[in-house]
Amino acid sequence: MAGTGTAHLHTADEALLRLENLVVEFPVGRTGLKVNAVSGISLDVIPGETLGLVGESGCGKSTTGRAIMQLPRPTSGSIIFDGNELTKMSGDSMRKVRTNIQMIFQDPISSLNPRRKVRDIVMEPLMIWEVGTKAERAAKVDATLEEVGIDPKRAAESQPHQFSGGQCQRISIARALVLDPKMIICDEPVSALDVSVQAQVLNLLEDLKAKRNLTLIFIAHDLAVVKNISDRVAVMYLGKVCEVAKSDDLYARPTHPYTDLLLKSIPVPDPTVKVLATKILGEIPSPVLPPSGCRFRTRCPFATDICAKEEPQLRDIGGEHFIACHHPIEHLA
Amino acid sequence: MTLITDTTSMTPTPLDVPPAAEPLPKRSRSKIHVGFWIALAWVAALLLMAIFADQLSFIRLPTAAVKNHGRSTAGYKLGPGWNAWFGVDSTGRDVFSKVIYGARTTLKVGLWSTVIGLLVGTFMGLIAGYFKGTYDRVISIVVDIMLAVPPLVLAIIIVYRVGDLQQDRPGNPGILKWFTRTEQITVVLSLLAIAPLARIVRALTMSLAQRDFVLAARSVGAKNFRIITREILPNLIPAMMSVAFTGLALLISAEAALAFLGFSVETGTPTWGKMINASYRDMDKAWWATLFPSLVLFLTVLAFNVIGDRIARHYDIREAAL
Amino acid sequence: MSRNYPTRPETGVLLDVEDLATGFKTGRGLVRAVDGVSLKLDRGKALGIVGESGSGKTILSRSIMGLLPRRGVVRAGEVRFEGARIDQLTIKQMRQYWGKEMAMIFQDPMTSLNPLMKIGAQITEPLKTHLGMGRETASDTAEKLLVDVGIPEAHRRLNQYPHELSGGMRQRVMIAIAMACGPTMLFADEPTTALDVTVQAQILDLLEEQRRDRNMSLILVTHDLGVVAGHTDEIVVMYAGKIVEKAPTGVLFSQMRHPYTEALLASIPKIEQPSHTRLHAIAGRPPDLVNPPTGCRFAPRCQYAQDRCRQQEPPLTAGDHPEHAYACWFPVVTGGFDRPAATDATTDSNVAVTIGGLR
Ligand SMILES: Nc1ncnc2c1ncn2[C@@H]1O[C@H](COP(=O)(O)OP(=O)(O)OP(=O)(O)O)[C@@H](O)[C@H]1O
Ligand SMILES: Nc1ncnc2c1ncn2[C@@H]1O[C@H](COP(=O)(O)OP(=O)(O)OP(=O)(O)O)[C@@H](O)[C@H]1O
Ligand code: SF4
Ligand code: SF4
Ligand SMILES: [Mg+2]
Ligand SMILES: [Mg+2]
Repeated sequence: MAGTGTAHLHTADEALLRLENLVVEFPVGRTGLKVNAVSGISLDVIPGETLGLVGESGCGKSTTGRAIMQLPRPTSGSIIFDGNELTKMSGDSMRKVRTNIQMIFQDPISSLNPRRKVRDIVMEPLMIWEVGTKAERAAKVDATLEEVGIDPKRAAESQPHQFSGGQCQRISIARALVLDPKMIICDEPVSALDVSVQAQVLNLLEDLKAKRNLTLIFIAHDLAVVKNISDRVAVMYLGKVCEVAKSDDLYARPTHPYTDLLLKSIPVPDPTVKVLATKILGEIPSPVLPPSGCRFRTRCPFATDICAKEEPQLRDIGGEHFIACHHPIEHLA
Repeated sequence: MTLITDTTSMTPTPLDVPPAAEPLPKRSRSKIHVGFWIALAWVAALLLMAIFADQLSFIRLPTAAVKNHGRSTAGYKLGPGWNAWFGVDSTGRDVFSKVIYGARTTLKVGLWSTVIGLLVGTFMGLIAGYFKGTYDRVISIVVDIMLAVPPLVLAIIIVYRVGDLQQDRPGNPGILKWFTRTEQITVVLSLLAIAPLARIVRALTMSLAQRDFVLAARSVGAKNFRIITREILPNLIPAMMSVAFTGLALLISAEAALAFLGFSVETGTPTWGKMINASYRDMDKAWWATLFPSLVLFLTVLAFNVIGDRIARHYDIREAAL
Repeated sequence: MSRNYPTRPETGVLLDVEDLATGFKTGRGLVRAVDGVSLKLDRGKALGIVGESGSGKTILSRSIMGLLPRRGVVRAGEVRFEGARIDQLTIKQMRQYWGKEMAMIFQDPMTSLNPLMKIGAQITEPLKTHLGMGRETASDTAEKLLVDVGIPEAHRRLNQYPHELSGGMRQRVMIAIAMACGPTMLFADEPTTALDVTVQAQILDLLEEQRRDRNMSLILVTHDLGVVAGHTDEIVVMYAGKIVEKAPTGVLFSQMRHPYTEALLASIPKIEQPSHTRLHAIAGRPPDLVNPPTGCRFAPRCQYAQDRCRQQEPPLTAGDHPEHAYACWFPVVTGGFDRPAATDATTDSNVAVTIGGLR
């Protein structure tokens, strides 16, 4: 899997964001080894779209999200946002661009400063950029808090720990919205929430997206969640992209063995459906010394010799469905 | 003697704390122990008496000779009683009043050295922990060296050299020449505080800098200075306060130890260490002249320790709940 | 597996909880975290406890195990284990049960293992203290346990520290430790919430396999009905410290009666639904357990709430199936029926007001 290739990209002017051959590596201490967190992925997002990014823990989802923000700068590759090449941009112009791309994080508690008042946290971006007058800023913050369902009065006198996990996530969303960004990168925003609150937050994101015409990148490890909110889904494994397709199509025709596995792992709230045996699976290999060829081959039930030798490239299998595998799962048309 | 006795109680909670089970409209802060209030009362009483010693009628001047029935009391003639609560010392001065005036010096030296240590140590720790890389390596080496030399030895050497420069050869243009002896002791003691504080602040900063809210601040365009002052520093304050109080306790004992060894402030200005030093040889005939200053020293050190410890626990409980 | 475990009957009631209540004294008043819960669990069966965050799932399982602090905690009710009352026992007497009879695994495999102790030492410790094994035997048993829970290269792992293992591996180690003394009952408190879906599936399978192999009872605590659906025999749904519905797993999903259970199920995104399907979120959040609402505790958030719900508390009543019970005045009937028209009851909380407008 885990392929390279750019077959699935739209043309440059169609996309709001376009990543090409993005590589992010981290040194391992002073050993000279490196963590291959992201190894040459290409992705794009067209305006108004929600792109889902799924994969197991450690496959490089967050690293990709942060690389887009240039936090830290990627090792190589190109990132074009709204016509600008971000990787070559100076620190100061990058600060400006970042206001157009915002992030929401997984841990609702850790992403809010515990010693500041919630309203000040949401106000901060406006203070940094000295937007408007004091009164305008206050009005904007209150309006945004209302929009995400937080009482501005309570926000003015409370610290984050006085709110529940779901409310903290709403506050994070308000902070991300207050500068009116074009795109929001949501890094597992619902993974730490329980199902009922998860539904509230997902619905809120859908509403905000429609109302503000936002473009979203939605990161998660649960395919059911990603499918619900995304228009298109990219499946990642160990720093590579293995399958890209429209969400409904991905579910109808999971063609990559790894996607199939992810689908089968979802707990189904129906006792008559048995979750399939997952024993053969084993563990995700270390990104320090990833397997040769297809990175999924150590866990893939269909792996053959060629999978160890040759890295599969992303290719079109019709209907805007792209996959990187030597032996894809066949679906009867 | 390092300043830090218990760093575990001050480390921030790990990042993966489960979300608060329930939104709590008003979380009642953890109950503060009675010990904390007693400690605080003790410190406050001592401070007030030290500050207003000149105005308070029951406190004599430390230089005033105590008379008993019109006779001199020099040579420990008077024990603890109504006339002199803590008795008199070998020169016939009131031990209680000297303890209060001693508190003035001791607390002043302790507080100022803590403040200097806090300022410098925090600055070093923040820079090292936030910018990492070369800054961190250089600062860490400095801190390691400071921690490697036994602090009291360092202090003695410096005080001895400096004292040497100032008292014996008045014309000598030494570096600390324009300082009074009190100020010299303060500077020396603050050196003891810097390294441990820098180390703790560095560790806390490193862990805070990894929290998502710092990333969030950066992603809205905050510059480093703003992130350090707005996002990181406020989160360091509880831990720093706790360390500062514990450190204060240790610096006070360090000052006493120095004084006991004969390295202390100007003659004529009493400190607890000097009082103990001057009278401990006569313990058998006048226990009070040694015991009372020691007791007050012990209680004050204990009080600061209790305060520091309670602050640490108090904020830990709150942080665990975050 | 014939280790030196005591022989036990194969079937029958293992755990019997009656009217259990647990409260915490706080500055604001008594937090009624568990408020009159009764349940029974047979040997070798799995029971799921489901509910939102703060509904009292953790406190319930800890009260049963006697793992709560004694100070500031108010307890009432009876807990019988193998027929004997255990709710009045002292900590010292409870130690007879912990490990050997009941064991627990927690949500966070990071913090529940000792970071400074090797994996091997953490598994052999209970073997040595509880079962009196020698060093060699204990270490062999530990290796076998690791193999049992599906850890590759078990022998090498014994000498590793927790941080050298992934989250899933750590949870497996936790399970191995819990299994060490062959408990009759295992509490798994959100054992997979911190893990990926793929790893979650593996861990749930492992728990089920261990339960069958050892004829052990399992209490699986979670907020996700999807997790319990395929892995339990019976389910208890909790809301605000009370049981609102309980039934055998199949019955619960086929004849769901309580609006809260229905709402919990509706809030889960289903993979077979087309993308952008609107999720049915439950507006607002669980009530304050110091002053829970009078009448039905779910009423402020229930879309079927009537005046009666706000005045009278619904008792736990039997359903069509003999083991099915629910507490609701106007129960849901799966497959459409004559339920009173939805009222505007959901507009109770501020979230509902603002978000409701967007629906
Ligand atoms: N700053 C860093 N230094 C070294 N290694 C890193 C760093 N950040 C991430 N990694 C490594 O890069 C890999 C990808 O990490 P990343 O956080 O992007 O994964 P993820 O897909 O977001 O996983 P999760 O679901 O756990 O959030 C992991 O192996 C991780 O250990
Ligand atoms: N020590 C305590 N003092 C006061 N209240 C407590 C204490 N421990 C728990 N509670 C309260 O008891 C209630 C039930 O908590 P519990 O941990 O059982 O919930 P839960 O269902 O396990 O939720 P979660 O999914 O968040 O783990 C909550 O409202 C919680 O705030
Ligand atoms: S079949 Fe080969 S190429 Fe395809 S996922 Fe499996 S190992 Fe990779
Ligand atoms: S009793 Fe009334 S409020 Fe409670 S769950 Fe049933 S219908 Fe809803
Ligand atoms: Mg991540
Ligand atoms: Mg719990």
